[in-house]
Amino acid sequence: MDKFITWIDERLPVSNFVKNHLSQYYAPKNFNFFYYFGALAIFIFILQIVTGIFLTINYKPDAASAFASVEYIMRDVEWGWLIRYLHSTGASFFFVVIYLHMFRAMLYGSYKNPRELLWLFGMLIFVLLMAEAFMGYLLPWGQMSYWGAQVIISLFGAIPYVGESLALWIRGDYVISDATLNRFFAFHVIALPLLLFALIYLHLAALHTNGSNNPDGIEIKKNKDADGVPLDGIPFHPYYTVKDIFGLSVFLLIFTFVVFFMPELGGYFLEKDNFVPADPLKTPEHIVPVWYFTPFYAILRAIPDKVGGVLAMGAAIFVLFILPWIDRCSVKSIRYRGMSYKVLLTLFVISFFGLGYIGMNPATPVLTWIGRLFTLIYFGFFVALYFTSANEKTKEPPDRVTMHD
Amino acid sequence: MSDSNKPSNRRKFLTNLTQIMGGVGGVFALIPFLSTMSPSEKAKAAGAPVEIDVSSLRPGSYKVVEWRGKPVWVVRRTEEMIKNTLEDDNVLSDPRSLEEHQPIYTKNKYRSINPEFLVLVGVCTHLGCSPLYKPNAKSAELGLDWNGGFFCPCHGSKFDLSGRVHKAMPAPSNLEVPPYYFASDNKIIVGEDGEKS
Amino acid sequence: MIRILLIIAIMISPVHVFAASQSMPLKSVLIDLNNKSSLQRGAQIYMNNCLGCHTLQYQRYIKFVDHLDLPAKTIENNLIFTTNKDGEATKIGSLILNSVNPDHAAEAFGVMPPDLTLIARSRGADWLYTFLTSFYKDDTRPLGVNNSLYSNVGMPHVLVWMEGLKKQSTEAGGYEYVNEGTMTPEEYNKAMADLVNFLVYVAEPAQLDRYRIGFWVILFLGVFSFVAFLLKSEYWKDVK
Repeated sequence: MDKFITWIDERLPVSNFVKNHLSQYYAPKNFNFFYYFGALAIFIFILQIVTGIFLTINYKPDAASAFASVEYIMRDVEWGWLIRYLHSTGASFFFVVIYLHMFRAMLYGSYKNPRELLWLFGMLIFVLLMAEAFMGYLLPWGQMSYWGAQVIISLFGAIPYVGESLALWIRGDYVISDATLNRFFAFHVIALPLLLFALIYLHLAALHTNGSNNPDGIEIKKNKDADGVPLDGIPFHPYYTVKDIFGLSVFLLIFTFVVFFMPELGGYFLEKDNFVPADPLKTPEHIVPVWYFTPFYAILRAIPDKVGGVLAMGAAIFVLFILPWIDRCSVKSIRYRGMSYKVLLTLFVISFFGLGYIGMNPATPVLTWIGRLFTLIYFGFFVALYFTSANEKTKEPPDRVTMHD
Repeated sequence: MSDSNKPSNRRKFLTNLTQIMGGVGGVFALIPFLSTMSPSEKAKAAGAPVEIDVSSLRPGSYKVVEWRGKPVWVVRRTEEMIKNTLEDDNVLSDPRSLEEHQPIYTKNKYRSINPEFLVLVGVCTHLGCSPLYKPNAKSAELGLDWNGGFFCPCHGSKFDLSGRVHKAMPAPSNLEVPPYYFASDNKIIVGEDGEKS
Repeated sequence: MIRILLIIAIMISPVHVFAASQSMPLKSVLIDLNNKSSLQRGAQIYMNNCLGCHTLQYQRYIKFVDHLDLPAKTIENNLIFTTNKDGEATKIGSLILNSVNPDHAAEAFGVMPPDLTLIARSRGADWLYTFLTSFYKDDTRPLGVNNSLYSNVGMPHVLVWMEGLKKQSTEAGGYEYVNEGTMTPEEYNKAMADLVNFLVYVAEPAQLDRYRIGFWVILFLGVFSFVAFLLKSEYWKDVK
């Protein structure tokens, strides 16, 4: 076996790779619950690719047969129902995991120097993931698929001067039709997954350049032993491989519970209206995007002007990109930051959930006003943070990490 | 960090247990993905057995039906055809149908359940053309020693009236007999073995 | 862990007001897909009364063998009424279709009667049960009936021969019967529960499998999580 490994190593540096990125790659020893989500995201990505491939075997990307082909998969293809539910549940869980993953970065300052590029790659992945999910959602060609796409694409139409041409170019037709479905299929199955794969690679490469941050927000490479190993570091393999196996197992327990016992999740993961084939002549009573888009949808609806709403929604995502430069505090982790950050972050979380709730419901006058309030709080977080972060009453972060378990 | 070189027994046991359970879980998880590529209900419905009513079939003539995308012939042999069924292996390559190209209940010189009716898959065992039905003996085109049977126009393979291939033909084996049974005297079900077969 | 549960709890909480334009509260119906005789009765009612106008175009008859515990011959003799152009009976492996001409139907009813394979997933069992038990006499309507749940519905009360015809009144329960059907109100409600049970099955036949398989998957993952936790703890003893 050793001779075989040597033969490989002379031609491809596998052993070096394993050493540099697993068995002698040192991660902080104080990772907590929030640090499971990166590995879980990789797992879900692979799951979506695999289940996606098997769906593509039987799915027909033609407006006349798409809906029927999904039911064919659900009934006539062996285990088709399971592959479908894994994929639909996987899409929603992907966003749960990603939101928690991003929240970790906000808790512990993981986007700060020297990890700004890591954060930017992550934000690009997030935007592409939203596009991927949006395009995937059109494919079943149900009522919500069709009308959700109609609403979102018409937003592009709102952009002054270029809007109509842009919407026409995206749709490939004067209305959402077979042409739109076919191109969304191509993007969803090949183009975006390839881009996502490339960006995930870059994201991990950037991560391994500086190593992970940790809940105390201190740089473990500042304290190394005689051999150059960080005192607070432990080799990723076996300690985090073994911990991530446990994390994955618990995640799968929750995930498969939904897949097998409540795949529709009350209409949030699989919407009731999507069990009706798309009908361009009949608009559903309530057009709602899937739950993971609702916070941004609420921001869109909060602005009474069509173009303004689109710009606000774009700004809500853009402002996340520049967070490393908005947040000027030199202390990374919330554990040692001033009260102002704790208050602001709490308000931000409340506004995010609040906006999500509002985005799921019809735009009544009351909810619209509350939505405007939450939108103000959402953007207010970033504006206020710019000023408060320069003057925070921080505590001195420790020299060595603290273990809370 | 521990600096023990040898992993403890507990560590080895738990590692092995996790690996075994993970492996078992992995195998079970793999099953749906492998199984999903089997024929779907749609394919099974299209490939379902076919019913043939032979009550109107005149002796000497034949009927063609489609089964699993292939032509299946039912030939109603005359008394003379049945009498003239070859025994010898001078002409035929596999006269006793020793190769497995027919269900066991048709492993006889008539290659059928009832000698009066011959059921064959009408696809030449050479390269897949559909042979022609040439029941008349001593025909001008096929020669004086032609005893009746099937002739494939693509490359000239000859088969007798039981679908058995002649010697030295491009086709290597006898024409295939599909599974079938008589649901009644006049109804043949092609695609399934009967209960007592 | 608590955080994930919190998130899921927030998501499940009854915030959706999708069926906002309801004209009455829904009656609830008990669904039991393990009650095969109920499903069989439901299938029979459907094929005899509903299939004439409403297809089940994504479902195949042959699935009733395993899912409804019916032998193939019983299905062929009692549930398959359609033929092809040549007059041959529809094969058991076929999809459940009818011979409605869409143009004639649109002319007669204003709209082509919709396919019902997924109606239980888009409307819900309670809605269907309430709908089927809420037809009442209304002479102002072209077909002589209206529906308390679905105002001005375009569908006739096909099952009036079972239920009888009721009209709205101030009696207890809100209705009184003007014509009798072959069943008492209790029998009719039970028959409608069977029909809805059948429709819930047809909307997602996979339900029968996923609960059964899911049990073992969760059990395995529970045990595996425990073993994985022991493994993790064992290694992490090293880490101070």
